[in-house]
Amino acid sequence: MKAVPIAQTLPAVLVESTAERLSALVDAHYDRLYRLARRLAPSADAARDLVQDTFLRAARTPRAIPTGARDEEAWLVRVLINIQRDEWRKSSVRARYTAAAAPPDPAGDDPEPTFIARATIWGALDALPPRRRAILVMHELDGMSVAAIAALLGIAGVTVRWHLSRGRRELARILGVRSGDRHEDA
Amino acid sequence: MKTLNDLLRSADPLRDAAPTPDDRERVRRATIAAAARTAPRAGGLGRRGVLAAGAAALVGLALVGGKAWLGSTTVHAAAVRFEIRLAESTPTLDLQPVRVGPERTIYLHRDAIVTNDDIVDARVVPAKTPGQFNIGVRFTPAAGEKLRAATADHIGRPVALMIDGEVVMAPTLRSAFGADALVTGNYTKDEADRIANGMLLR
Repeated sequence: MKAVPIAQTLPAVLVESTAERLSALVDAHYDRLYRLARRLAPSADAARDLVQDTFLRAARTPRAIPTGARDEEAWLVRVLINIQRDEWRKSSVRARYTAAAAPPDPAGDDPEPTFIARATIWGALDALPPRRRAILVMHELDGMSVAAIAALLGIAGVTVRWHLSRGRRELARILGVRSGDRHEDA
Repeated sequence: MKTLNDLLRSADPLRDAAPTPDDRERVRRATIAAAARTAPRAGGLGRRGVLAAGAAALVGLALVGGKAWLGSTTVHAAAVRFEIRLAESTPTLDLQPVRVGPERTIYLHRDAIVTNDDIVDARVVPAKTPGQFNIGVRFTPAAGEKLRAATADHIGRPVALMIDGEVVMAPTLRSAFGADALVTGNYTKDEADRIANGMLLR
């Protein structure tokens, strides 16, 4: 009896290449997806579920995932936004928001007035469709340029600007602040 | 008056909740388990059929060469005790001698590097010879690292893969172990099934 390199025997059985790739995909993109998910979902638990659902979609259709870090990320981000959009449509978040905005997770020793203010601000985002919300948080909080967002989502720059503008106006109206809309965004 | 950007930054939930390694690991396991359930399979699987927990990055095993010996096998419908131990070709007082072939004796270290508790998956793999089967074993990432560390300094010396206290393989290490091992016992299908299933029992 002799031992042979595992790679000679196992790939067809254990689908190692797929397992390896998915594992690498999680390593490379989990943090980025969680950051986006946490800003799209109403709670940390919902964000974790959203990220997991995204990777599960990848696991079910591994051949659909493009190669290259940038294309992988774009694919995963789009999947994540689409899943959240489906969820958003099902749960009619917009309607619920007007009745009672879902607050984000309580933040430890956050003083109540601050917590309520943050809950109100973040709850207002629930009124936005997920893709618009994603564009807004990527631009406002991640500092991504219009061109980078457009490339990531596979849409035109003008579409990104339109979503930004509408998103800012909608939020500003709800929150009673200046939208800070800037036509020089690029 | 604050701008929208000011308000969003002040309310950003990521100020309080960064992603954690535990979350990432949980997602990794679920993802690979889902892929395993989806993928077509060519070989027999352990009943517990889990690629689940496992599956950290695969590190190829290069256990090439070396002689090994298949001990007699008794069929049990129960847990199988699996161990990997370092071994030596020359005796010392604290090592346990084991005959592994007509002209070969190895000397086992007393402590196992990994055991059943470190296995996340074991499955039957067809051997090159039709009708014979081997067993692919996957360890937890922590156990894989332990194996790698223990075997890296043991190159050129034997290592023993043991089932129910018997040495079933004693190859000479040509490179360090990784997170996977292939027990090439050239078993019958029933034997291989019994061992693979038994390895997953604690």
